[in-house]
Formats: sequence, C-alpha cells, structure tokens
Amino acid sequence: MISLGFHDPDLPPYRCVVLGRRRILDLPLIAWLTVVWVLLWGNLSWANVLNGVLVAVVLCLVFPLPVVDLRLRLHPLGITRLAVCLLADMYSSGVKVARQMFDSRPYRAAVLAVPLRCRSDLMLTATAVAVSNVPDGSVVEVRRSNATLFVHILEADDPEAADRARRSVWRMEELIVRAFGDHEEIDRVRAAPRPGGGGR
Amino acid sequence: MSGWAQTADTAGAVLLLLGAAVSLLGAIGMLRLPDVLSRSHAATNPQSLGMLLVLAGVALRLRSGIDLGTLGLIGFFQLLTGPVAAHLVARVAYRTGYVGREGLLFDELDEQLSRRPDGGAPAAAAAEQSPPPPDGTA
Repeated sequence: MISLGFHDPDLPPYRCVVLGRRRILDLPLIAWLTVVWVLLWGNLSWANVLNGVLVAVVLCLVFPLPVVDLRLRLHPLGITRLAVCLLADMYSSGVKVARQMFDSRPYRAAVLAVPLRCRSDLMLTATAVAVSNVPDGSVVEVRRSNATLFVHILEADDPEAADRARRSVWRMEELIVRAFGDHEEIDRVRAAPRPGGGGR
Repeated sequence: MSGWAQTADTAGAVLLLLGAAVSLLGAIGMLRLPDVLSRSHAATNPQSLGMLLVLAGVALRLRSGIDLGTLGLIGFFQLLTGPVAAHLVARVAYRTGYVGREGLLFDELDEQLSRRPDGGAPAAAAAEQSPPPPDGTA
C-alpha cells in the first residue's frame, strides 16, 4: 500500500507512506542517496540509477529516520554569496592560524558566548558548521534551548578580539540564513543581534 | 587545444602543491600550539582549505563531468563532517578540563554551566562565578 504526500493532507509533501503507515519514505532523501550512489560508482547508467534507488529505499526502510521538518529554502544568490565569503574567510583564517603558530609571543585564549538570532535547528547546525571554518572559530558547545554558540577564540587579550569574533559569527549566521532560511528566519536575522554575552 | 590542456595540467599541479603545503602548515600547527582547543583551530581551518585546493587541483587534471561530481561530493562531506569531529574533540577536551583553566582569559560557558537549568543561580556558585575574572589569574 503506497500513498503519496500530495494526495494525503496530513502528510508533509514529498513523503510517501508504505507498509501500512509504519514507514514514511522521504522522497528527496531517496533522490539524494541515489545521486550519491551514482557519483560513488562514477558512471551514469540505468543499472546504477536503479540499484541506487533500490539501495536507498531499502536503507530508508531498514533504518528509518524521524520525520523532521527542515524548512530548507534555497536562495541561489545567497548561496553564491555564502560560498564566496566562506572561501575568503577560509583563506584569511589559514593565514591567521599560520601567523599564530609561528608567533612566539604568549597569548590568552577564551571561551565566548554568542547568542544567535535564528531558531530553527537546521540554521543553528549550519551556522555552527560554518563558524568552524572561519577565523576565530572553534565551537566548544552549542546550546539549543537558547540558540547560543560557545566559541573558543585565540588572542582574547586583545580587547577588540571578542567583539570581532562575535560580529564574525553574526555575519556568518546572516549569510547562512539568507542562503537557506525561510522568510520568518530572514526577518529575525534582519533585526539587530541580541546584545551581551550569553544569558537568555 | 593542447595548449589549454597544458595550462590546466600546470594549474592543477600548482594547486595540488599549494593544498599539500597548506595541509602541512595545519600539521605543523598541531605540533606547535600548546593545548587541545588551540590545536583544534589548526586542525580544522587550514585542513579544509588545503583539502579544497587539492580537490581543485585534481579536478583540473581529471576534467571529466562525473569525476567533478564525485570530487564535489568529497568536498561537501569533508566540509560537513570535519567541523563535527573537531567540535566533539573540543567539547570533550573542555568538559574533561584539558583546557588549562589558567590559560583561559574569560569563560562564558563556565558561567552558564554552573547555573541551574531553571535559570536561578545557586547562591554559592553565583557568588563565586558570576563576575567574569577581570584579570587572568596568572
């Protein structure tokens, strides 16, 4: 018994129910797994595509994932801007870490709380992953309840460093949300960052 | 036509060398920096840049559609999983106290961890912990 999400109002779209409602198949997930399978085999043929679909369906049936509403939107312009900024930041981050390691001057590190503006789990995760790739970024802890990132920064004895690190995290958050977020999140990001470190 | 192929091969070789050099820099950083949390900076940032450079170099030498897709997939998964691993290492290092507390100038996570989950700070801990230490107790 298979019914698609388009016909069934109490299902999210692009989902498909099999085995009498005991398993819900996420069709975009199956498509993505098939793409990965084909890319791993390295040539595009009908046999590969069919095998990929088969493996993906079996995987989703045997290891079901909880149904999550990702609320993922793709904004092409935002994604381009995010990619360019990420590359530039990675370069400057590499330069900075390199300078740090050949600098014999002792420095003081610190752990900084950065409250984020976005609320959805996906945006929080994406921001944490992106922050790990930019300067001043080593995420020590993520607090989901109040959407706060705790980052470890080098050179905290420079009084401006903490501010700079906070601003860079907020900028990265804004880039991420403008690339992947829905309108609600974008509105939230447009507001001024919450002042102060940590707290509710 | 072979001129373009020659150029792409050379550029690919340069990118490969550059990526390897950047990764080497990250490895040197792992050796030189003093504690786990600082080392995790050196482990993630230069490595992901070096990996992207190596992938770009390989892409310039392979130059075929499906291989580019596979390389893109490798880059995507590396960028996604590297930070997760680094975060877990950093988190474990922090929670087990391998940071050298005297090395941290201020610690805003410690304030939140020692606060009670209901939001009310326990009296003793609040008296001790709530003002961030203005000077690093050397």
